[in-house]
Amino acid sequence: MCGIVGYVGRREATPVLIQGLKRLEYRGYDSFGIATVGSALEVYKKAGRISDGEAGAASLRGSTGIGHTRWATHGEPNDINAHPHMDCEGKIAVVHNGVIENYSELKRQLQERGHIFRSETDTEVIVHLVEEHYDGDLLAAVNATLPSLQGSYAILAIVEDTQQIVAARDASPLVLGIGDSEVFAASDMTPLLEYTERVIYLEDGDIADITPDRLDIFHGGQRVERPIELISWCVEDTRKGGFAHYMLKEIFEQPQSFYETIRAGVDDNVRQMIMDADEITLVACGTSYHTTLIFKYLAESLCNISVRTEMGSEFKYFVPPLHGLVIAVTQSGETADTIAALKMAKTRNCPTLAITNVQGSTVTRVADRTLLMRAGPEIGVAATKSYTAQLAALMQIINLRCDGAFNDVLSHAHLAIGDVLLYDVRDAVALCSKADHAFFVGRGAFYPVAMEGALKMKEISYVHAEGYAAGELKHGPFALLTPETPVVAICTPGPTYSVMASNIKEMKARRAPVIALGVDGDKELAEIVDIFIPIPNTHLLVQVLTASVVLQLLAYHTACALQRDVDKPRNLAKSVTVE
Amino acid sequence: MMQAVILAAGEGSRLRPLTRSKPKAMIPVANRPIIEYVIDALLENGIRDIVVVVGYRKEHVIRYLNKLDAPVQVVVQERQLGTADALRAAESEITDDFLVLPGDNYINAESIARIKKERNAMLVAEHPSPSNFGVVVIRNGLVREVIEKPEDAPTFTVSTGICSFTPDIFPYLLTNEIPDALSAMIASGRRIRAIPADDWQDAIYPWDLLKLNSRMLRGITPEIGGKVDASVIRRGVVRIGAGTTVGPNTVIYGPVTIGRDCNIGANTVIMPDSSIGDRVVLEPFTYVADSIIMDDVTVGSHSRIVSAVFGQGCILADHTTTYPSASFMEVGDRVLKEEFGAVLGDGVRAAPFTTFKNCIVGNGVTIEEGKTLVGLIEDGARVI
Repeated sequence: MCGIVGYVGRREATPVLIQGLKRLEYRGYDSFGIATVGSALEVYKKAGRISDGEAGAASLRGSTGIGHTRWATHGEPNDINAHPHMDCEGKIAVVHNGVIENYSELKRQLQERGHIFRSETDTEVIVHLVEEHYDGDLLAAVNATLPSLQGSYAILAIVEDTQQIVAARDASPLVLGIGDSEVFAASDMTPLLEYTERVIYLEDGDIADITPDRLDIFHGGQRVERPIELISWCVEDTRKGGFAHYMLKEIFEQPQSFYETIRAGVDDNVRQMIMDADEITLVACGTSYHTTLIFKYLAESLCNISVRTEMGSEFKYFVPPLHGLVIAVTQSGETADTIAALKMAKTRNCPTLAITNVQGSTVTRVADRTLLMRAGPEIGVAATKSYTAQLAALMQIINLRCDGAFNDVLSHAHLAIGDVLLYDVRDAVALCSKADHAFFVGRGAFYPVAMEGALKMKEISYVHAEGYAAGELKHGPFALLTPETPVVAICTPGPTYSVMASNIKEMKARRAPVIALGVDGDKELAEIVDIFIPIPNTHLLVQVLTASVVLQLLAYHTACALQRDVDKPRNLAKSVTVE
Repeated sequence: MMQAVILAAGEGSRLRPLTRSKPKAMIPVANRPIIEYVIDALLENGIRDIVVVVGYRKEHVIRYLNKLDAPVQVVVQERQLGTADALRAAESEITDDFLVLPGDNYINAESIARIKKERNAMLVAEHPSPSNFGVVVIRNGLVREVIEKPEDAPTFTVSTGICSFTPDIFPYLLTNEIPDALSAMIASGRRIRAIPADDWQDAIYPWDLLKLNSRMLRGITPEIGGKVDASVIRRGVVRIGAGTTVGPNTVIYGPVTIGRDCNIGANTVIMPDSSIGDRVVLEPFTYVADSIIMDDVTVGSHSRIVSAVFGQGCILADHTTTYPSASFMEVGDRVLKEEFGAVLGDGVRAAPFTTFKNCIVGNGVTIEEGKTLVGLIEDGARVI
């Protein structure tokens, strides 16, 4: 879960690399570094944000270079542990994204042979191994190194005096961008967008030899051709414009991304796969896991199919008995746990479907079929528009299974989302920003909505929040309710309305301030709670969406009120590419 | 390098209920927000350093500006106190002579060409009802006085709000309105030239949008995206966006513009001066003339829509009629009489056989079957 970039061509490499690393900062941002080959191999690396340390890198010259932005896994974030790492003589530099699992063994062997290690990282073994094999041919040296590595990697290597990058990947993402006499490499396509729209996705086990005029890709010792694909995202989508934060921009893009995902529809192969399924298992992590839970509640009640949801991180080690369709849900398409789980499902001969936002990402190549959501690039670390776009994709599956019963509901849902964006949640924010702890409760499909609301609150505002099924609060957590612990309750008409209302009264009796989301015009509810936030009185599917968006706004404005760094919350990275 | 500051922070409250989700500058006329015409006029004159001041519903304006090809700077006016306050918000971006323009009035490129040569000048225009504007008293080609919205106007010459200034105007911005700063400059002996505009249009009240719409539709270029059935009859300039389907035997007489992803049913008739937004559904046998239909509206079959403005997301069932007529109406603190069919806010829902007769309907109003509506209906009301 780091980001890497590389450049070979005619431009000065340093600004290209720095700009690219900034676009990748969402993947990790505790330290960064770049190395360039000009008259000599020069390296600059620094702990901290790129914007704070970039001035120091400006002196690096050369039109070939590599860069790295780090989210620490081995060794704490400091100047020495930052990438690129160099060999003993300072002639070869390597950046790496992934984890080398057998690094301690390799490190011991290398130290016995006299190599001097400077950092605590797993990456440094790669560069020393390359050094051992190097005799003037970097490609051959990297090629000879890879078999001894176990784990996941995307590697870029450069050597002094040569305009060349050698790239290799296995189980970590790497994309090449093809320009005019120049080649870019990056962990994902966002840094490439401003320079080119032609990209090549490397496959696991590929090694690429990159020079300004030539690009050769090898797989298992054979030269192979990889197709050049055109990318449809544009660079404007990845800019913040006048918005204070990417997250706010992305919250406001939700009506459009929801609508576009619905409009894109489902292709016939995927449709067949969905119609044939007699049971569905979904695998996901984090926010995506919450969308699968919502799907479970909705699909089981609306289209009478049994649905299981599994966390990717657990699934791999504790595999349940599997049959029926397995759907992996991941925004980036690179979430390591989810992909590992999907591979496991394939070994059990289950049909597999990926729901992802990134065309050409790893998951699309692992799964049998892909249902693409059209959220566009999401830069804010907290998932917002990808969450609603995932719901759009999942709701389409529900709609298919119900023979199009919700066509009208889904094609108008973006209007209701647009409506709640106009709401003023200031009173609720004032309450939450003073609190150390908060509870989010709901029933049925609104239980995972509450969990997602709590997750958003935790991850960006650092207010400790717990999502609970409203009925479970009585079985323990009630002890924690105080006049300083706000409870956010989602209470909409339906079979659970009256029991939810009595839950709220119980909480009020413990003097906890209650913020309730109910349908517009629900006067009874508005009277018993402290703050009432109305959501449009529409279909259940739409209420799930609008309630989620209100909770996003609540988390966002609370984080702003507490002056948190909304787009880069501490200790988090956007796509978790290590297990 | 000449700079330009576009003021797009104000709501435009006289256009309510249409300004619920967006400021006046973002209201679509011929399917383009008004501010886009202003930006175009500047770009045509080679003015590329553009600062837009946003405030009311700023997220929607910013999202829109980000999608433009031309890069524009955005500054935020936190509270909408007035035009001079908005200009102060942009002060840090100003380095050279600059133009100030309201983002919610139409202006053509020729008018900009006339004023961009001048330092300290104001574009003025003649208007039949000057008391809605700042009335300008001119002597020897110089501005003598600006009287804001007077009861009895001494002349028909009004301010377009478009001025050219040098950066040393900022010390004169003592109050929250630009006309006060002008008076202060005149009092201190500065000369402000009055320059007649070539073409300038404003929409004060919602029904004025129809006139502006018909004026702007004269400038559209023909383009057919989407799927248009072979039996469709088109005359005049017609623009149809990508992803739109137009069913058999439909008649479209231009100038008409239709957005993206619409569904125009079979046997519908669309007459001149109509603008139809994105994702609009017109069911079969419906007639539309001289109207603005914004995004995501659905109009049922056998409807007759004339002289109407529909806000986004309205869902109107079959046999809806808008009937142009004129009656007295209290808008703000004025009593007005103007002929038009209907102005509907966002998300109005009407049951079958609803008739709108010279009527302004607020946002989110629900109407039961067979009603005839006249006059003003408040936001969120239920008509039973």
